[in-house]
Amino acid sequence: MELSIASVLRALRGWGAVAAVLCSITQAAAEAPSGAEGVYASAPPRLLQIRTLVADAGRQTSTGSGFLVSPDGLAITNYHVVSDVALEPKTYRLEYTAADGTHGDVSLLAVDLPNDLALIRVDKHDAPYFSFDKAALDGTLQKGERLYSLGNPLDLGFTIIEGTYNGLVEHSYNEHIHFTGALNPGMSGGPAVNAQGQVVGVNVATRRGGQLISFLVPARFAAALLERSRARNPAPADLRKDVTAQLAAWRAELYHAFAEQGFRAASLGTYQAPETRASWFECWSQTNASASPKPRASINSTTCTADASVFVASDLNTGAVQISNSYAKSTDLNEFQFATALSQLAQPRLTTGGSFRKWYTPQRCVEDFVGLAPSAATNDGSSANAGNDSKMLVAAKPSSAQLPLRVIWCAQGYREFEGLYDVVLVAVTQDHGDEALVSRLSLQAIAYDDAMRLGRSFLKGLQVVR
Amino acid sequence: MIWVEILSRHRDVVGRFRVDRAEITIGRGYDNDVIVDDPYVAAQHVRIVRDDAGRLVAEDLGSANGLYLEKSRSRCARVVLDGVQPIRIGQSLVRIRESGHAVEPERLAGSERRSLLVWAAVGLGLVLLGIDALLIWFGQTSEAHLSDYLLPSLTLVGTAAAWVGIWSLLSRLFAGRSMFLHHVLIAEAGMLAFWLYTAFAQFSSFALTLPGVFSYQYIASWLVLAAICFLHLREVGRTHLVAKGVVVGLLLGTAIAVQTLQRSEAFANSGRQTISHVLMPPSLRLVPLRDEGAFMGDIEQLKSKLDADRAEVRKTSPDR
Repeated sequence: MELSIASVLRALRGWGAVAAVLCSITQAAAEAPSGAEGVYASAPPRLLQIRTLVADAGRQTSTGSGFLVSPDGLAITNYHVVSDVALEPKTYRLEYTAADGTHGDVSLLAVDLPNDLALIRVDKHDAPYFSFDKAALDGTLQKGERLYSLGNPLDLGFTIIEGTYNGLVEHSYNEHIHFTGALNPGMSGGPAVNAQGQVVGVNVATRRGGQLISFLVPARFAAALLERSRARNPAPADLRKDVTAQLAAWRAELYHAFAEQGFRAASLGTYQAPETRASWFECWSQTNASASPKPRASINSTTCTADASVFVASDLNTGAVQISNSYAKSTDLNEFQFATALSQLAQPRLTTGGSFRKWYTPQRCVEDFVGLAPSAATNDGSSANAGNDSKMLVAAKPSSAQLPLRVIWCAQGYREFEGLYDVVLVAVTQDHGDEALVSRLSLQAIAYDDAMRLGRSFLKGLQVVR
Repeated sequence: MIWVEILSRHRDVVGRFRVDRAEITIGRGYDNDVIVDDPYVAAQHVRIVRDDAGRLVAEDLGSANGLYLEKSRSRCARVVLDGVQPIRIGQSLVRIRESGHAVEPERLAGSERRSLLVWAAVGLGLVLLGIDALLIWFGQTSEAHLSDYLLPSLTLVGTAAAWVGIWSLLSRLFAGRSMFLHHVLIAEAGMLAFWLYTAFAQFSSFALTLPGVFSYQYIASWLVLAAICFLHLREVGRTHLVAKGVVVGLLLGTAIAVQTLQRSEAFANSGRQTISHVLMPPSLRLVPLRDEGAFMGDIEQLKSKLDADRAEVRKTSPDR
């Protein structure tokens, strides 16, 4: 159930032949009939197929789509279509193929990593180009409007797909348009336009396991990128720095928003567990109550996930945030058996978004018993000086009133991205031998200080209610 | 009266001759008092006489291959005999003893000692099976099946039996006695030591928050294995103990070095330590609770380690 930008690209790789099929499209209809035929008639000269080639071999490694947005050859595509060139400019280069069969070099001007967009320049002048839909830029588009998504799926040739605008995706940190239509690999970076041929969004992804559920990047991000960077002329190595800087800045913003929303206490058995207030999390509950054979300890879990991960490179997708709380109570396990069951629940399991050898530093852990201030004393976790408060209260109350915890903190750094880490924090309550709360906070691509701040307020959200 | 004993390479007596003469000759020829069937022995090789002080001495009778004291490499024309060290002629070991040679006191008939060993072996075996079952029981979080207990116990018994069987066979071959009970006890003691260490490692990793003890478990296992191998070898034959110790020690060192290397390479490959985080009943905790601030301090320190790791891997990977 996850956004699979990566799946788009993966399938897209290895489709070899160039889309010379584009040429077969008729150049009729200057009178611009409305609907699909109109779009079909006017769009081809404005569309590009973007190919990534290995610089030395001159052969393509992946293809995607793009579209012209200015008369002087500026075009928009997805970041994930050009990521190889942004990250490894010495190894890869870009080429475009137009509908009329002409092709030429592409220079990469700018990327927008969080929104998976890129601005490129092709060697074309006075070519027709797409304009942006005013309503889409203002965010006043009506749900249910017909949209036409354009591109070159699976390198089969120019294709138009009709679908419906369904507004913005709920429970998502990044803005995405929910488009009901069948996007396919290779269409990434192509435009989705209204009946007048104006751009509403950029094709970006489909949902694995769904039917016709696809996503578009809203046009306003593409328009903003165009405005911001049309005059740029970066050195190849700058783009890699841009990617790093954008990733760090975007993650910092996301985690600040997350921390600002703070945690609220949700009751789970005899404990209060921290849950996020942020609306961009999707929460699911799980229980083993109906399991067969009858479980010997009941385990009820709530897991809230923000699929705020982005495509960084073809082998790195990172940025997911997850909070999970499990309340376990023994029915007929003894204390040792129950502890074994808890051990299984509490393994830190840092999930990585890419290959370890390429992207991560080794995982390091800290583990200890921690006494937590009693529940009545905790205040809002988002308060900045909460750490000092709790220390004072620990000193003031007898230690028996503390909530004892076993806390495991594991972290690994990113090799390339200075200041970013993946962190997982697991806390297991230690006040009873036959019941416990196992709380887990996993944060991908986060600055260490942010992780510590969130970790502290997460722990503060753990309380006993008896 | 003098006894001449022909010894095997393992110092077992393979032939014993009683001679009642003042002068004894030993050689391959049939005119000797004691005949040694060794092609490297001369027809008339050596003679045994008493010197002026009444001690027994061996004298070379002019053989080509000469007369030596046990392992000595220097040829002697004349050797004073003490009844303990054999002489070497050709490739044969010959020991000469007088009838007054002191022997070890009578060993008590084994019944009591043996039954003690039997009881110890059975008792220790039951304790081990008990520990095994207890560990399985503690680890059981789902429906209990009888086979969960039976299979590991049988595997344990089978493995131990095979292990002890091999050593007993070796003992039988080289020492003539299988020493079965001794081998059983050695194997059981080793297993007990290993389990005690494992239990200690788990306990200390939780109750004392010392996960390091756990990560050295493999060293402890190799040490235990080496120790029991040495003890088994000692049962097989009490000679060459230093050499056996050195060989076992070398193998131990190699095994630990190889596994340490393998673990560090696995860590460099996967970025993960192979230890798991153990939880036990909260009542077993021995260390005091730390306050949150101190723990956060630890977490903060971890950052510098991670950053050092990053600097390290950056140094080794090419800059792009």
